[in-house]
Amino acid sequence: MTVGINAFILVAGLLFVIGLLGVLLRKNTLIIYMSLELMLNAVNLALVAFSRYNNTMDGNMFVFFIITVAAAEVAVGLAIIVALFRRRQTVMVDGLNAMSR
Amino acid sequence: MTATQSLLIVLFAPLVSAGLIALFLRRSGVVASMVSVAAAGLICVFSLSAIRGMGAEGLTASMEWLKVGEFSISMGFLFDDTAATMLAMVAFVGLLIHLFSLGYMKTDPSRGRFFGGLSIFMFSMLGIVLADNLIMIFVFWELVGFSSYMLIGHYLNTEEAAAASKKAFIVNRVGDFGFLIGIVFAFWHFETTSLTEMAAMMNADPALISATIAALLMCGFIGKSAQFPLHVWLPDAMAGPTPVSALIHAATMVAAGVYFLIRIDFLFPAEVLTLIAGLGTAVAVYAGFCAYGQNDIKKILAYSTLSQLGYMAAAFGLGYPGVALFHLITHAFFKALLFLGAGSVIHGCHHEQDIFKMGGLLKKMPITAITFFLGTLALCGFYGLSGFYSKDAILIAANLGNPLLFGLLTLGAFLTAGYMGRLLWIAFLGQPKSDAASHAKESPLVMTVPLIILAVLSVVGGYTDLWPEQLGGLIKYDLDHLHHAEGYKAAHKMVLILGTAAWVVGLVVAYFFYGAGAKEDRLQKMAAPVYGFLKSKLWFDEIYNFYVAKIQQRVAELLNFIDLFLIKGIFVRGSAGLVGLVGMCAKSLHVGNIHGYVYWFLAGVVLLWAAAAGIIGF
Repeated sequence: MTVGINAFILVAGLLFVIGLLGVLLRKNTLIIYMSLELMLNAVNLALVAFSRYNNTMDGNMFVFFIITVAAAEVAVGLAIIVALFRRRQTVMVDGLNAMSR
Repeated sequence: MTATQSLLIVLFAPLVSAGLIALFLRRSGVVASMVSVAAAGLICVFSLSAIRGMGAEGLTASMEWLKVGEFSISMGFLFDDTAATMLAMVAFVGLLIHLFSLGYMKTDPSRGRFFGGLSIFMFSMLGIVLADNLIMIFVFWELVGFSSYMLIGHYLNTEEAAAASKKAFIVNRVGDFGFLIGIVFAFWHFETTSLTEMAAMMNADPALISATIAALLMCGFIGKSAQFPLHVWLPDAMAGPTPVSALIHAATMVAAGVYFLIRIDFLFPAEVLTLIAGLGTAVAVYAGFCAYGQNDIKKILAYSTLSQLGYMAAAFGLGYPGVALFHLITHAFFKALLFLGAGSVIHGCHHEQDIFKMGGLLKKMPITAITFFLGTLALCGFYGLSGFYSKDAILIAANLGNPLLFGLLTLGAFLTAGYMGRLLWIAFLGQPKSDAASHAKESPLVMTVPLIILAVLSVVGGYTDLWPEQLGGLIKYDLDHLHHAEGYKAAHKMVLILGTAAWVVGLVVAYFFYGAGAKEDRLQKMAAPVYGFLKSKLWFDEIYNFYVAKIQQRVAELLNFIDLFLIKGIFVRGSAGLVGLVGMCAKSLHVGNIHGYVYWFLAGVVLLWAAAAGIIGF
């Protein structure tokens, strides 16, 4: 049995939306960060599926780049979050806001 | 001192007095009353000086007050013999009523406000008398409306007075609406509102006459002089203090409507005149009937005033403005006398106004009773008294002009004598029927002297030959004209017989039907439906109430909904909300809220996508 391109795009779209909603609605920086990663990986999934569907390597090329950039980003991002926590004793976005209220 | 300067003093003395009272003397009633009476005295003195100095041609003086483009409004005096006659009457009767008020309002805690009101009223009334153009008349017309409102509502903590003052003000606005449109039309038609210029244009070209303008200006008269169908406010206006009823609602303000007609009589074509005559006659008879259904002494007099105003309107409509003015002047004397007499009675009886609770006042208050009796005779047209001459002239004019109106007006004369007889016999003869009446005392001199002076005027006021030569030119001219009309002799004889029969029959029938000092209304007992019908006054109030509450209110509610929903809801609140929303979004860019940034970022992405996809172009 073969799974069609539509199913991949559907799953990728769902993952992207879940990630987007996570970014928009959650208050915890760590979770927002994870949601961001989820969106990146949803895109990865779509790109791989397109590559396979078109029988080219273009999409796969992008995926390698994205994974590399994401790994670097994780290293920096997590370090920032840890540093933030040390400084403020919280990672909730409401508590991090130093400008209003 | 020139006549113009005298007139300026006449006009501004009461304004100064009103200003002083309003600003400084509201709490010191004694000083306020003195200031107001002094102003009335000044008016009287300088009116006489102006009348002496006016010259044969009268005088005109005016200054520009306001200029808007081509249109300029002036304020000025047109002081001819008609104005002089009216001024003399207003000044003199006004002074007497001011004096009477000193006694009548002696114990009133808010005397300052009352006398301030009288002064502002005198100012506005004199403005109407002297005005030389329609716009100035309108300005002062509204001012008398305001002062009438203020004085009717003098007893402001009673429900009745508050409602009556509002009613008078609002009903008058209905008429004034027509008046205002009439002024606009007149300006459009003549390109001036000056009375003399309009008269000159009409003389030069009689084809300029316009029934529309005349009918619209007549609306102002209908409101102010309480004619059909706007007569409903006058009886209610009796809720004010009695001197106010005498001054405003009998002698001067309600007569200002008639005076206004006389001032612009050159504008009236025959069909509008006929309409006015018909309206006036209808009110004269209608109010005569209504008076039989009233027990309040002031309300009976109020209906009598309505009826007499109807006579004036009829005289004007029959083409004799001079006769209308004549009746206006004599009516001012005897009706002011009757109202002040009623005031004296009410004062003596501790504010009892029901005639069936009075009785026997002839012995207790002889001066009041005798002067009241003289006033009644003058009103009924007793031979030789002032009312006889003016009313007879009206009846003769009707006899010569229109037999139907003549019949109705004669019926009105019978009715007049009947209801005045009813009032007189029940209130003044017999035995006292309440504690208040049995403890009644004659009023002090300050109240009885004006009564006596007015009684003398009511008796001799009709002899126009005795008047100063500057006064009453129009009256004498019209009377002369009437006396030389075809068929005058026969008409005069007939009117003399009928007129005399009217007061004899009216007074005698009233005496025997109601009985001296009756305790209850015999008509009510014997023919309750008839009495109820008279008391209902043809249900005018009920019909107007229905119209206002059931029909106009619906329209008002619809407009209110549109206002609330469409204008307030969508336009005002909606635009404010939109701006607020933009502000809220813009704010989220700057307050450090990370989710706000995300939304802005998303919006940016969508915008970018839309631009890339060509949905929006740059």
